[in-house]
Amino acid sequence: MIDPIILQQGSDWRAQAEVFDEIFFVFLALGTLVGTIVVAYTLWNVYKYRDDGGEPKADFDAPVVGELPTGQGGPKAKKLFLSFGLSAIVVISLVVYAYGILLYVEEGPDTSGEGDIEILVEGYQFGWEYEYPNGHTTTGEMIVPADQRIDIAVTSRDVWHNFGSSELRIKSDAIPGETNTNWFSVSSEEVEAQGGEATFRVECFELCGSGHSAMKGQITVLPQDEWEEWYEDTGGSSSSASIDAAAVGGVPA
Amino acid sequence: MSELPPTTSVKRWLVTTNHKDIGILYTITALFFLLFGGVLALLIRVQLWDPANQVLSGLAYNEAVTAHGLIMVFWFLSPFGFGFANYFVPLQIGADDLAFPRLNALSYWMYLFSGVLLGISFFQGGTLSAGWTMYAPLNIPMYTPSIGSTGAVLALAMFTIGITASTVNFLTSIHHSRAEGMGIMDMPMFTWGILATVWMMLFAFAALLAVGLILASDRVLGSVYFSATEGGSLLWGHLFWFFGHPEVYIVFFPALGVMLELFQTFSGRRLVGRKWVIISICLISVQSFLVWMHHMFLTTINLEIKTLMMATTIGISLPFDLVVFSLIYTLIKGRIQFTTPFLFAFGALLLFILGGITGVFLGAIVLDYEFRGTYWVVAHFHYVMFGGATALFGGAYYWFPKVTGKMYDELLGKLHFVIFFVSFNMVYFSMFLGWETPRRVFEYNPQFQTFHQIGTIGAFILGFSFFIMFYNFAKSYVAGEPAGDNPWDYSRTAEWAVSSPPPLENWPNRPSYASGKLEFVKDYVPDGGPAVKADGDGNAATDGGNSHSDHIKEYPYWDKHPSHASIWPFALSLMTGFFLFGLSGFSDSVTFIVGETLASTSVEISNAVYPVFIVVGLVGLIASGVKWGLEDFYAPPSEFAERWPFNGVEKVKLGMWFFLASDVIVFGAFLSAAIFVRYNAGWMTWEPLTESLPGLINTFVLITSSFTVILALVAAHRNSRQGLLASLGATILLSFTFLGIKMWEWHHEVFDRGVMIGSNAHGDPIQASIYYVTTGLHGLHVVIGVLIASYLFVRAYQGHYLDDERPVEYFGLYWHFVDIVWVFIFPLFYLF
Repeated sequence: MIDPIILQQGSDWRAQAEVFDEIFFVFLALGTLVGTIVVAYTLWNVYKYRDDGGEPKADFDAPVVGELPTGQGGPKAKKLFLSFGLSAIVVISLVVYAYGILLYVEEGPDTSGEGDIEILVEGYQFGWEYEYPNGHTTTGEMIVPADQRIDIAVTSRDVWHNFGSSELRIKSDAIPGETNTNWFSVSSEEVEAQGGEATFRVECFELCGSGHSAMKGQITVLPQDEWEEWYEDTGGSSSSASIDAAAVGGVPA
Repeated sequence: MSELPPTTSVKRWLVTTNHKDIGILYTITALFFLLFGGVLALLIRVQLWDPANQVLSGLAYNEAVTAHGLIMVFWFLSPFGFGFANYFVPLQIGADDLAFPRLNALSYWMYLFSGVLLGISFFQGGTLSAGWTMYAPLNIPMYTPSIGSTGAVLALAMFTIGITASTVNFLTSIHHSRAEGMGIMDMPMFTWGILATVWMMLFAFAALLAVGLILASDRVLGSVYFSATEGGSLLWGHLFWFFGHPEVYIVFFPALGVMLELFQTFSGRRLVGRKWVIISICLISVQSFLVWMHHMFLTTINLEIKTLMMATTIGISLPFDLVVFSLIYTLIKGRIQFTTPFLFAFGALLLFILGGITGVFLGAIVLDYEFRGTYWVVAHFHYVMFGGATALFGGAYYWFPKVTGKMYDELLGKLHFVIFFVSFNMVYFSMFLGWETPRRVFEYNPQFQTFHQIGTIGAFILGFSFFIMFYNFAKSYVAGEPAGDNPWDYSRTAEWAVSSPPPLENWPNRPSYASGKLEFVKDYVPDGGPAVKADGDGNAATDGGNSHSDHIKEYPYWDKHPSHASIWPFALSLMTGFFLFGLSGFSDSVTFIVGETLASTSVEISNAVYPVFIVVGLVGLIASGVKWGLEDFYAPPSEFAERWPFNGVEKVKLGMWFFLASDVIVFGAFLSAAIFVRYNAGWMTWEPLTESLPGLINTFVLITSSFTVILALVAAHRNSRQGLLASLGATILLSFTFLGIKMWEWHHEVFDRGVMIGSNAHGDPIQASIYYVTTGLHGLHVVIGVLIASYLFVRAYQGHYLDDERPVEYFGLYWHFVDIVWVFIFPLFYLF
């Protein structure tokens, strides 16, 4: 089931974590820059125009009680619109940039559907159950191969949960009656770097009851061959499949 | 009508309808809830000290998180802002009081007693533990079974009812009672902030009321909306956030209004680009209803809608940019005075800038995917909402001299600000640093422990800083320096033109801006007639805000004196509280055993306390309502007022229109829920549950009754008592016919076809729920209509309404509305 051509392409994939890191950095850098400029400019002017007890300047026109606000405009409003225009340009270009990345994240890397593995994730109070294409199920720990696009279909059997792994930068609402999709992939380099078996913390990101805090899981990534060995042992042997595959998105079994 | 007792008497505070008294009550009550919510926050922070050691159980922690959110958002932030709104909006627009003083008192007491209900819910087996967002289906009894959970939901519903009354009141006041010469663009910025707030509240809180009623129905009556897998969870998300996003601005705009006011007063400069700031505020208010799905980016809504919501979300940040720049440029070339109020307002701006920038991050969907459900969100909304509230504390210092006549202690005030500002950033900036922690989780990744510990230390300092403020206010109230009428050099608005504290009826004479600045005009009152506008000689101009209350007020109207006291708002709210308290335990103490027929159906009561409260509350509620109607309470109309854009609409009629607008949203939400769920279930898979004939007959019955109400109005207009009685009587009879057919229909469904509110022998249970709940809400409106019509009938029999047929007309407006709603219900539930 593993096409070597797709494996080669694997090195060109950008994992969601990588994509996130880039866009987060761009936003953080720009946000810090804009914030610093605006705050510094404001603080400087507040200091500069403090009331030092001296005589008011000639053009200072003190308001009086009971006046109606008079019409304003002129050079001041020009400055206002200039700043407004600049901020609009910054914000809109950020969004256009972010939108391009959104399209990639929504679609995921193009693998022509070959070699993808689709796993059903079902949240329950308080844990996660995973169902593999062959019908095998595990709870708590999802075991997947490296260098492969993993598609997940996320739902819930009781209340609203949220399946997420901060390290992989993936997250999906698990809503009863709905099926949400997401994808991720982990490179074999990453697996090797973690000593032949990469693990990622899974947490629930939506309040789901008294055990919400402790609702943890794990994604374990094995090298291709090890995973296949493991997967073949499970082949069809499981009868614990509790999800009606057709009901949650017609997964090829 | 009773006389208003002195401020030293407890009775005064129970009966007062004066806007300034009620403003004080709101402020003090809101500060109490700040402490309540603050203690819960400290419990949360203690729990977060060490991810391996807990002081609270998981459930107790969830309760603390939920109640903290609910209390701070609903029972602290908004009411704190509305304390100032109550006190100062009438003063700023030159009105004697709000348009409906008793309704204002009702809003306050509803607010207070709803808070009491929420407090009680902790002792009813634990309060709600589903988070303040109350996501479905965690919010239904299957997952949160305690009576207290229902109590908390009903408390919120009661709060919402009070809010709706308050909204109608403020909208009517600002659009109806502005002093002569004060155009809508001339209003002070704080009043502008409140006006935008109440317009948003009118629609947003109606959606919350609807979703709260549906949830209450799920919890008390056993309907199955939010457990339905046909979109039940998403339905909650949509309805809640349709309210929830405008709510962010609803709590922020009063604070923004204070900032705009204080920046001007303490820089001696007028607002830069004032017109554009007002336009921005209006734009934000409209846009706030078009962004709600950005709270649901990770649900199953499709990419096109997400993209649209991203665009509107980023779009809404632009008018905010303009407002922020306007605030900054207003300071330039000013003479900035670093008083305590200014420090708080300025601090609020800095915090809001940080909150705003981090909000732009959340608007980018890819980033939101990762921030969703983390402390990034928690930090962001605290910077925005609590950051905004920072300006409200500035407002408290700013107006303290006006309300009490005493000056606060400046040194203590500045000390409060410094400690507040530093510890605020300790608490919430540390959340940005540890943002990967999931929300509402205490067993978090230990690598973030340092950040959470800094937050916990900051939280205790932050809590402590408020005691400096309380001490300052208490000390200054008792022994502060007299403040004078206008302690600020550059204040502009009218509240500074009267004494501190202002007299009961606010003005020495009628305030007017007709000449371009505030003047107090003495009107000529002919014997027994309405006031006549004074000519130039009668003008009594102020000398720059130094007029005093020792003028003897010559009231410009008839010899009838305006009323300021009524006990019925208090009684009505208390009884509503009783009723809802009873309702919270209804499903646990009362069981219906449905037999083959109505006769064989029995009721089992396991605990009589709750049903007794329901009955007592309901009877008391109706009795207080009748007493309210009979009370001779006089709220004088503003004779010469600016009313754009509602010129020529009478006060009560305007209020009625506002109320009906909010009711349109309530029914709109119920009907949208019906359509949304049916769409998710597969539109064509549902057949109408009922036969169409009874529905058709009822349609004709209701339309005919609309006609008879018009006849009643015509008869009253022609001074025909008999005609009035006959037409009202016919309306009542037709209503009873409608209700009779409705009862037959429900009886038929339950006993002949086995269709109950939570089960359905002929299809999806949710279809039965929607049918009963939607037609039930309409039926409830008909019942209320019958009650009002009966009241009118009795009063008409006693000879009323022939001189003044307006009550009949306003009832007619309501009744036509109820009929129009039916026109939408009929096809949806009986035809298709």
